[in-house]
Amino acid sequence: MTPLVTASGLSLAGRLRETSLTLEAGALTCLIGPNGSGKTSLLHAIAGIGRPAGNVRIDAVDPAGLAPAQLQRLLGFLPASRDVKWPLTAADLIALGGAGEPEIARILVDLDLAALAGRRIDLMSTGERSRVLIARALAARPKLLLLDEPVANLDPLWQLRLMDYLRGLARDQGCALLIAAHDLDLAGRYADRLIIMDEGRIAADGAPGALLASPHIKAIFGIERGEAGWRPA
Amino acid sequence: MRLGLLVLLAAAFALSLALPWAALGELFAQDRSLGWAVLAELRLPRALLALSYGAMLGAAGAAIQALFANPLASPDLTGTTSGAALGAVVTAYLLGFTAPLALSIGSVLGALGALGLLLALAGPKAETATLLLSGLAISALAGALTTLALALAPSPFAFYDAYDWLMGSLVDRSLGQAGFAALPAALVILLLWRMRDALDSLTLGEEVAQSQGHDVARMRIRIVCLTALGVGACVAICGAIGFVGLVAPIFARRLTGGHPGRAILPAAAIGAILLLAADLVVRSAPLGRTLPIGVVTALLGAPFFLWLVAHMRWRLAR
Amino acid sequence: MRAFAFVSAASLALAAPVEAAPRRVVSLNLCTDELLLLLGAPRQIASVTHLAQQPAEFALWREARRYKRNDGSLLSVAGMRPDLVLTMGGGARDRVRIAGRLGMTMLDLPYPKSLADIEASVARVARALDQRGRGERMLTALSEARRLKPARGIDTIWLGGGGRSASATGLAAEWMALAGLRQRALRGDRVSLEHLLARPPAVLLRSDYRAGQYSGEQRWLSHPLAKGDARSRTIATDGRGWTCMGPNLLGEVARLRKEARR
Repeated sequence: MTPLVTASGLSLAGRLRETSLTLEAGALTCLIGPNGSGKTSLLHAIAGIGRPAGNVRIDAVDPAGLAPAQLQRLLGFLPASRDVKWPLTAADLIALGGAGEPEIARILVDLDLAALAGRRIDLMSTGERSRVLIARALAARPKLLLLDEPVANLDPLWQLRLMDYLRGLARDQGCALLIAAHDLDLAGRYADRLIIMDEGRIAADGAPGALLASPHIKAIFGIERGEAGWRPA
Repeated sequence: MRLGLLVLLAAAFALSLALPWAALGELFAQDRSLGWAVLAELRLPRALLALSYGAMLGAAGAAIQALFANPLASPDLTGTTSGAALGAVVTAYLLGFTAPLALSIGSVLGALGALGLLLALAGPKAETATLLLSGLAISALAGALTTLALALAPSPFAFYDAYDWLMGSLVDRSLGQAGFAALPAALVILLLWRMRDALDSLTLGEEVAQSQGHDVARMRIRIVCLTALGVGACVAICGAIGFVGLVAPIFARRLTGGHPGRAILPAAAIGAILLLAADLVVRSAPLGRTLPIGVVTALLGAPFFLWLVAHMRWRLAR
Repeated sequence: MRAFAFVSAASLALAAPVEAAPRRVVSLNLCTDELLLLLGAPRQIASVTHLAQQPAEFALWREARRYKRNDGSLLSVAGMRPDLVLTMGGGARDRVRIAGRLGMTMLDLPYPKSLADIEASVARVARALDQRGRGERMLTALSEARRLKPARGIDTIWLGGGGRSASATGLAAEWMALAGLRQRALRGDRVSLEHLLARPPAVLLRSDYRAGQYSGEQRWLSHPLAKGDARSRTIATDGRGWTCMGPNLLGEVARLRKEARR
């Protein structure tokens, strides 16, 4: 089966060395790696942020040069920063993702935001704001989702609920998801595929179980698994 | 809401033409065609200038605030109007190109220079403090250079024009001059309005906007050029008027639920109403004295600005 | 008026012989520059003000450039050791006493408020310079101009930058009357664009002073309403002469008289 997403020759000035990868529809892929390893840069490069080199095809379509209205059905990006400058309401902000009314209503229910729809985003807690921003990225059900640390700022319950929801999106809707994460256990539990980044390139790529038990972890992260969990190597 | 704004705008425009009624009423009683002539040649240009300049400042303020993602950005606080005044003064007084088109071009170049300098100094993603400091520094520099240029101009009477250039004046401009300001302003406001969706997408941050297919760098250049063009054309005729471009977008965003891009047209309407009102205040000054219109806008706008700064600080501290 | 002119001329002739004509005369004021250049012999003139040497400011700038320039202060001319210093309006400075201590004779003329004052100044300067001949010729020209003055004046507004005009009873009005133009009385000696539109004068006398130099006042003058319309005759006048309104205006007045009659 042809992959949903093919990216080749991607590079981003100084932060990402020439990289190629493919993503299958319906698969949830987690990107892990130490700080500065290039996770965010890889997401940026695929999303077309910061003038990356290389080319990308999503469902055989080149996203570069597409009008925003069409692009929103193809690609959804969530940045690591949860900063919003303007006092929009949650519903208005989600609408900026290009989704229609029914889709907005649906995502409000899915992420338990219905009660917050009319509340101003700058008056919400960080967790609530995070969920609203995630809702914006997901509302239009784009084919490829690029999420930079989506579970940051969320409480433990919502971390699990969100990952469940994202896995559901992959399985039921056939989206391809590429998620940058810091939590190795969470990644191991929900990912269909794991990519480890180190110093601007892909160091390892494969099944989560195998990769997490491999020597790559100790070599790249400097930690190893002990009885009580992870510990410095 | 939109209808209410339009009605208010029409009322302000009509008042601007009619007041003070006594003098006009007398003329109409004497000679109808004379009354119409005064209305068309003297009152109309003034009302038209207040409308266009106010609308341009409002729209430019909305666009600049959207671009810098900062409610304190505005044409005057970023040095745009001061730069435009400097450009116009150098072109006409020092270089001797006095044709209306030359003045407008000089003014636009001055505005571009100021905005360009601001972007170079503070960067596009500047924090509030950096943005304000750079903008105020550029403003102060441009103002000082303008006064210097006027002091050194060939004509010894040029120095007395400093008030007109630095604080604005709508008095005794012809219909042709009003056209020179109104037409570019209308065009620029329309073009800025067309960019409203792109500007709204900037609320999510530059990265998300780029991921949605908007070319943020090009957007930035276009907004800088358009605001320089519109503001420059108005400053060339009327001098630099401040605070309208700061206050109008803030009220406009109340009406659009915080969307900065959609606020462009409402901000234009509110800006026009504010400047028309300020002009009416100027005309009813006591003792028949001349008040520069920039003084009125500053008297109303500066306290508002102080309140805004305090409010922002209070909100961040919570 | 005519009697006064006669008396002035007579007083010149009957004045007691004075010491030898002053050999180094300086003028510290634009208006006394004019008198000095018109009444003095070139070998007497030592210095005139820098303003007199500017084409935009003074009609006789070419002659003025033959002499050294000063900045209007005693300090700038002290080095030339003048024997006569011409000034106007006294001023706040203690110039007369200082000049006396430096051994210079100072002739201070009052600001002229009427043609009679102009004639008096001409007489005094001519006497001080020992140029009676020139003085008499100038006074004769002035009384000739008076003789040729038309009986009735045409309703006129003198227009300068920014809407400045002239008083209906001052020196400018007297000069204009010699040309057959009657300056209209205006509030504050200013005219607004609305006034020009509502009650246009028969003649609009536009000063071209510094017309080539940009200023807010010049921009006012280029408003369509300031250029007059079909209901007025617009006549341009050389603005430079109207700053001091000295005897050099005689030529301009003669030209205006001819223009107005057409």
